[in-house]
Amino acid sequence: MTISRRTLLAAGPAAGLLTACGSDTGRGDDAGAGPRLSQWYHQYGETGTEQAVERYAAAYPKAKVGVQWRPGNYDQQTAAALLTDSGPDVFEGSPTLDQIQGGQVVDLTDLLDGVRDDFHPAALTPKTYAGRIWGIPQVIDTQLLYYRKSLLSDAGVRPPDTLDALVDAAARLTTKKVKGLFLGNDGGAGVLGGTPLYAAGLRLVTDDGKVGFDDPAAARTLARLHRLYAGGSLLLGAPADWSDPSAFLQGLTAMQWSGLWALPRVQQELGDDFGVLPFPGDGPGAAAVPVGAYGAAVSARSRHRDTAKDFVKWLWIERTDYQEDFALSYGFHIPARISLAKKADRLKTGAAADAVRLTTEHGYAQPLLWTPADQTAYQDALSRIIRGGANPESELRAVVRKVSAELDRVRRKS
Amino acid sequence: MTAHGATARRRVRNRALWFWTFVGPFAVGLGLFTYVPLLWSVALSFFDAHNTVTPTDFVGLDNYTALLSDDAFVDSLRTFLVFTAFIVPTTYVFSLALALMVNRVRRARAFFRSVFFLPAACSYVVAALIWKMSLFNGVRFGLANTVLGWFGGDPVAWLSGTDPPWYWLVIVTVRLWLQTGFYMILFLAGLQRIDPGLYEAAAVDGARPGRQVLWHITLPQLRATSVAVVLLLVINAFQAFDEFYNLLSDTRGYPPYARPPLVYLYYLALGQGQNLGLGSAGAVILSLVVVVVTVGQARWFGLGGREE
Amino acid sequence: MEDAVVRVGRALRLVLLVVLALLFLVPFYLLVRNGLSSERDVTAPEWAFFPSELRWANVQELFDDPSVPFARSLLNSALIAVATTAGTLLLASLAGYGLARVPYRHANKVFYAVLGTLVVPAAVTFVPSFVLVSSLGWISTYRGLIVPTLFPAFACFVFRQYFLGFPTELEDAAQVDGLGYWRTYWLIVVPNARPVFAAVGTIVFIGAWNSFLWPLVIGQDRDAWTVQVALSSFTTSQVVRVHELFVAAAVSILPLLAVFLCFQRWLVAGVERSGID
Repeated sequence: MTISRRTLLAAGPAAGLLTACGSDTGRGDDAGAGPRLSQWYHQYGETGTEQAVERYAAAYPKAKVGVQWRPGNYDQQTAAALLTDSGPDVFEGSPTLDQIQGGQVVDLTDLLDGVRDDFHPAALTPKTYAGRIWGIPQVIDTQLLYYRKSLLSDAGVRPPDTLDALVDAAARLTTKKVKGLFLGNDGGAGVLGGTPLYAAGLRLVTDDGKVGFDDPAAARTLARLHRLYAGGSLLLGAPADWSDPSAFLQGLTAMQWSGLWALPRVQQELGDDFGVLPFPGDGPGAAAVPVGAYGAAVSARSRHRDTAKDFVKWLWIERTDYQEDFALSYGFHIPARISLAKKADRLKTGAAADAVRLTTEHGYAQPLLWTPADQTAYQDALSRIIRGGANPESELRAVVRKVSAELDRVRRKS
Repeated sequence: MTAHGATARRRVRNRALWFWTFVGPFAVGLGLFTYVPLLWSVALSFFDAHNTVTPTDFVGLDNYTALLSDDAFVDSLRTFLVFTAFIVPTTYVFSLALALMVNRVRRARAFFRSVFFLPAACSYVVAALIWKMSLFNGVRFGLANTVLGWFGGDPVAWLSGTDPPWYWLVIVTVRLWLQTGFYMILFLAGLQRIDPGLYEAAAVDGARPGRQVLWHITLPQLRATSVAVVLLLVINAFQAFDEFYNLLSDTRGYPPYARPPLVYLYYLALGQGQNLGLGSAGAVILSLVVVVVTVGQARWFGLGGREE
Repeated sequence: MEDAVVRVGRALRLVLLVVLALLFLVPFYLLVRNGLSSERDVTAPEWAFFPSELRWANVQELFDDPSVPFARSLLNSALIAVATTAGTLLLASLAGYGLARVPYRHANKVFYAVLGTLVVPAAVTFVPSFVLVSSLGWISTYRGLIVPTLFPAFACFVFRQYFLGFPTELEDAAQVDGLGYWRTYWLIVVPNARPVFAAVGTIVFIGAWNSFLWPLVIGQDRDAWTVQVALSSFTTSQVVRVHELFVAAAVSILPLLAVFLCFQRWLVAGVERSGID
């Protein structure tokens, strides 16, 4: 490889610079079985995942696939790497609207011929633009509200099924040592994102590409979140943030918003003493469960586009055994394929089964038209509403203005 | 053309040759690896450069007007003007005081110097880790909250609450801890260059050790170092990114307070969403602000000018 | 009377220094405490100054962890930091000296051109730099990790400021003796400028060791990971491995402390010789 053990050993402090500078980048076309592909994954926290994806890659017969396991801020790294010729051929990720419009990723629509209906719509929709598919969903990740059954029954609190009930439950569960609810160290502005809007029956962006929360109900719902914060029932400043179940497991909070990936650990430590809920509905809205799904995409700068597409088809469409293994053997994700999700034994009982049902019934995915600029503006407002007690109506008015301008921009490009 | 003139010209040419022998290699590298990307960025700022470094859609000053009419960006610039006005003198005085004390202490001087300098060896990531997860976490078993508890105080969510803005305490302490030692070393290196004869002469002239000597000998002699320190401090304050990002961001974003301009630009334009034109415009604006502030403070303190 | 005041002042100064020193050491104590704790102790609901047992096994496990090439990353960081420091000291000190001492018509313009790059945030030239280095084919090479970082304007700036304040007598004497700029620099200036070399070298070394974003995107192959990249891999989007993170952080700063203690001797020599007290 690029910096081999040999060059490293040869590189004594003095001679090192020259020797190392003489090594070349070795990327691309070695002799041997077909071309070389470079495939990127973000670093998964669950042990065994990396070995598994390397096993899959090694099993691909038509090319030599090198796996790059990327720690750190993954989406930024792929975005930068897509600008160069030394980026990945195949990468997992969520191609952004600008990447699609800028022609940085390859159209993968034809790979899905015949199996399109087998993919969960909530996973496929954000990979779809102008009727074409730009990423093949790998797995589905969701976020849920975990609650401690014993703590709730001790306090005589029923699992909350409305936002008002959640606010009330969090207050009643709060004691001197235990807080009622943990929504992340920032009080929820980051992780909740659009979820409360969906729970209020609204949208971030409507199907016809308009602002989906230009509605007085949005302000009413977000104001309730401020009551959670102001009432002192939120856990703040825990050493590990919402994505890690530690605060919940350590008894710092009676309820925590966290990912599906935390479920095995919670189950292991708490046994049956916990349950999962969606984000409860508010007013006319039903509950909401945010769904995220990384997909496999192909870089338009790849020198072996066809091979790369073939590899994606092989791994993420044909090899259902690997797909199931990837979703369920290491971490805990819902397979993106409906047929696989139905088959999986681990998803048939207990809280896991609840999670699958809630995802099917209430799952929503952040729309592709929702850009990082929208996200920043909306989250700023949400943070000011929750923590600063800012007026939700005027805050949201400003966001609506920014988001419509941004929607105009992306529409002009298409 | 006299022989004398030819010699002079040769000497001038010679000096140019020597100058470039010394400065050339550095200048070439700086040109390639700093100026090329820099000018490239400036060029990008006049284009609609979403996810591309070779844009074709010229938009003139649109990116600049977009940013200057963006409340969040202007707000972060304003916040960091105030932050700079506070942190620069604080760090300056603190590190100079440490340098003077360490320089004059008779016992264990090497020990003290090491202790104050050691934090400079910590990366911002490691420091932010310690501050966020151990020292100033918001639960009752954090060190700061434990100490508060001894005095009967309730746990404080240091980084999460906005009223009062305790997060500034966290940010300022981590910054002082990380940076003071570095500037202290620069001051120490400066102090050791001061001609001891000056102090002897002052003592002969009856100057009282302490404030008089400090004002009339030490500080003026440290002027070149001070120029360097203040300049680096100002730039550092405006370009703050790492410790803020590591202390206050979560996987989903960054709160709308204590947000350095670079962090805001990162989320808006330079991270996953690559609006490189907008991001570059932001950088140009930020750089201009730094230039104005630097030149301004140099005038104010009479530092910048001719050093010789 | 006067003596008593001086003595009291001196005692106060010592007390103040001791208190400050203790405060400065607290974060290091936390680093070690958490690094040598079990996961359970780190996250225990009650604060304890010392973990119930010191788990030295944490260090062993860190190096045995197959998912993180920690030893290799330490080696990479060491190599990169040493090469970066040596290269920067050479190039920046030469440039600083030229700017401070060689009279040249455009010297000031060149100086401001160097200085000007200080105000430009690297975060923003980052993408063009990355594209540039990538188009040179330097991704995942030591070249790509080292060469672009050899030209920090601040180092040149600090050297120039230092040489400006350098007493000219020695150099004048050398010139009289017929030494040109080049030999004056190597024979007279460098041996007498150790403190600034030590200071800048230490800072550059620390910067190279702690640098994160550049090695992260340039060193794409796992074999090219630096220690900071390895460190970041303990925080994933799903879990934070707290005690591993702390023990890795503690181990990652040890080499820096060693380097610092070596350079310390030169700094001390520089400071002592001045005889200020």
